[in-house]
Amino acid sequence: METTTLTAKEEAKQVKKMKRSETWRRVKRNKMIYLMILPGLIYFLIYKYLPMYGLIISFQDYKPYLGIFGSEWVGLEHFNRLFTSSEFWMIFKNTLVLFGLQIFIYFPIPIIISLMLNEVRHSFFKRGVQTLIYIPHFMSWVVIVSISYVMLTLDGGIVNAILETLGFQKVNFLLNDDWFRPMYILQVIWREAGWGTIIFLAAITAVDPQLYEAARMDGANRFRQMWHITLPAIRNVIIVLLILKIGDVLELGFEHVYLLLNSSNRNVAEIFDTYVYVAGLQQGQFSYSTAVGFFKGAVGLVMVVFANWLAKRFNEEGIY
Amino acid sequence: MLNRKKWKLTTIILLSLLVFVGCSGDSASSEGAGGSGSGDSFAIMANLHTPEVPNDKILEKIEEETNKEIEIQWVPDNNYEDRLNTAFATNSLPEAVFLKNQSSFIQFRDAIEDEQFWEVGQYLDQFENLSKLKDTVLDNTRINGKLYTLYQGRPLSSQGLIYRKDWANNLGLEEPTTTDEFMEMARAFTEDDPDGNGEDDTFGLTDRSDLIYGAFKTVSSWFGTPNNWGEQDGQLQPEFMFDEYKQTMDFFKEMYDNGYINQDFPVTSKTDQQEFFKNGTAGMYVGSMGDVVSINNDAVAINPDVEFDVQNKIKGPDGEYGVWSIPGYGSLVMFPKSAVETEEDLLNILDFFDQMMTPEIANLSYWGIEGEHYEVEDDRALPSDDKALTDREVKPYMSIGIGEPETNGRYESKFDYDIKEKAEELTKENEEYLIEDPTVPLYSETYVDDGARLQEIITDATYNYIIGQIDEAGFADAIEDWKSQGGEAIIEEFNASE
Repeated sequence: METTTLTAKEEAKQVKKMKRSETWRRVKRNKMIYLMILPGLIYFLIYKYLPMYGLIISFQDYKPYLGIFGSEWVGLEHFNRLFTSSEFWMIFKNTLVLFGLQIFIYFPIPIIISLMLNEVRHSFFKRGVQTLIYIPHFMSWVVIVSISYVMLTLDGGIVNAILETLGFQKVNFLLNDDWFRPMYILQVIWREAGWGTIIFLAAITAVDPQLYEAARMDGANRFRQMWHITLPAIRNVIIVLLILKIGDVLELGFEHVYLLLNSSNRNVAEIFDTYVYVAGLQQGQFSYSTAVGFFKGAVGLVMVVFANWLAKRFNEEGIY
Repeated sequence: MLNRKKWKLTTIILLSLLVFVGCSGDSASSEGAGGSGSGDSFAIMANLHTPEVPNDKILEKIEEETNKEIEIQWVPDNNYEDRLNTAFATNSLPEAVFLKNQSSFIQFRDAIEDEQFWEVGQYLDQFENLSKLKDTVLDNTRINGKLYTLYQGRPLSSQGLIYRKDWANNLGLEEPTTTDEFMEMARAFTEDDPDGNGEDDTFGLTDRSDLIYGAFKTVSSWFGTPNNWGEQDGQLQPEFMFDEYKQTMDFFKEMYDNGYINQDFPVTSKTDQQEFFKNGTAGMYVGSMGDVVSINNDAVAINPDVEFDVQNKIKGPDGEYGVWSIPGYGSLVMFPKSAVETEEDLLNILDFFDQMMTPEIANLSYWGIEGEHYEVEDDRALPSDDKALTDREVKPYMSIGIGEPETNGRYESKFDYDIKEKAEELTKENEEYLIEDPTVPLYSETYVDDGARLQEIITDATYNYIIGQIDEAGFADAIEDWKSQGGEAIIEEFNASE
């Protein structure tokens, strides 16, 4: 018995060794090709990994004039303060709610628009619509938020003026915390939905036309074709984009939320990004805000790994 | 042969070019770190209040007169605090750094106590002009008895009311002298069609998203609220625990509920706030009375018939007038040890600021060039009518001046516009009714660390109370929240350090 296990182990070792030398041989053979990834690798090392050493300050009582090496080590104190602070759960919840809105409300919209555009027969009209819905993507959040402000304000805003002439009560859109979330997601949709269709439209054009032909022969109508051919064909793309989106779980657009934030909607609008900005850059609590940012990054990482695992569980291709 | 020579030449040229580029690269980077520069050439980080960076005309003259080489790092007022903190965190502050106001000074207290900045008090006596700086103001900027900053003087309180005189005349209203009359004016301007166009298109007070420099704090002084902190039962307490603060909130709430104030004031910018006033939508503005000049200029362009007036003494229910004051300085300049390496360099920089306090250079940096940017009349300066010109060439340099007319000998201002003259008089008059902040010379560690974040709780609650999102109990909860998150400690520490 013993000998057999030994040989089995040895065999495994042998196989491993062979595999490794195989890999090396391949690398050697294609060394020029491997060399080509070097610039990219260096870029990530220098600009993405190297700056991470700054995370050390989240475990210190960082004083700029003492530097990273001179500041006092306080361990998990800042994390402790974060998790016990009364604001933590509020911020965590707000972040998750906005994330949920992004996934469940915003994410499907570009897919629906792509499917609709795909059904448009008139190519001139289709291109025209495509171009028009790309435009908002190139406007900055400042412009979009300002336009909404001018339209929604109680002091002469057009929306309230219309409501009033129709005999409705004026609505305090800007200072009411119930309106923050709808306003946020509508602005996101208005700006990004058109731009988001690009990848889906590209995926749709790659579908084999013979499949549609065959389906038509079998008597499938337009809707059936869409459901049984187009959607399954772009399923991979949808899942990859969804995983990437989930990876951005806590990247909800600092600029956008910060512009919408005010005294009356802070309880629903304060998210990690805005909190880090105010605590770190405006109030100078460098270590604490680094700790908050660190936590946010860690949550994002866990979410990506989880989403990827989930995709693989369902027999789909993940992103790695 | 010739070919070879050519090659050699090219190589030499290329090599020397490389060395040259290398050198200039070096000097650029060391300058960026803010560490270079002897005392004769140095950089100042200052606050830019105009939309554009000024041209060098005045700066060149100042450099010529003072015999220094100066680089000014202009930072727009809106993100001055961010930039200051970022520069500090990355150790790249220049030789002289202006702090925007009292709250940034409080925030830097830790670093100052840690001797990151030069102590300047010991050198002041060596300088003829710097030694003239007022002791009362200097005392407000001392830390543990030591002085680390030079101050830029500011009138103690220019707060008051600017209102539409023509509207008041139309409706037969006198200038308000009590808070009740103030409310009545706000009501009349809203409901009684003050512009006589038969339409309901006006309201009373225009305000913005700023509880301090907007209307709220000034109105709260009329009600007798202390300035930030006040004494109650022999103990220092924050202003929002006083009954007068609540009365002010109720006063605003009444205006808000009746539509006498712009309904989105908690999110209104200063530009929009003034726009309502200039274009004839609103009739009252509470803030710095000196603003009447720029407001009048723009308003007359829209409607030549407008007429403004200013008023300060508005008495509260107790029949007393009071107005909050700043601690006598606007901004402060300090000198980081990371950039100013030797005492000699420091003395050189102080020498520059000493010269900035001579009447010639103080006038140059504040008023510009005589005959071009201003005229002298009755020993006072009358700025040019060409506001675009002064904005572009002179105004930004006001932010690097030190002291005030009494100490630096620069001309007091004179204005063609008599209401502005009146505003200046009333600003002087205010000095007899000042409500001072008793905590200016006191110290609380928790306040330094967390004060700004805690204040946010109260600011939010105040707005939400006024617009009716929370009630009295909700405001009391906010105070409890403030207390439990560190406010309790602040109260104790301030009282202990008294």
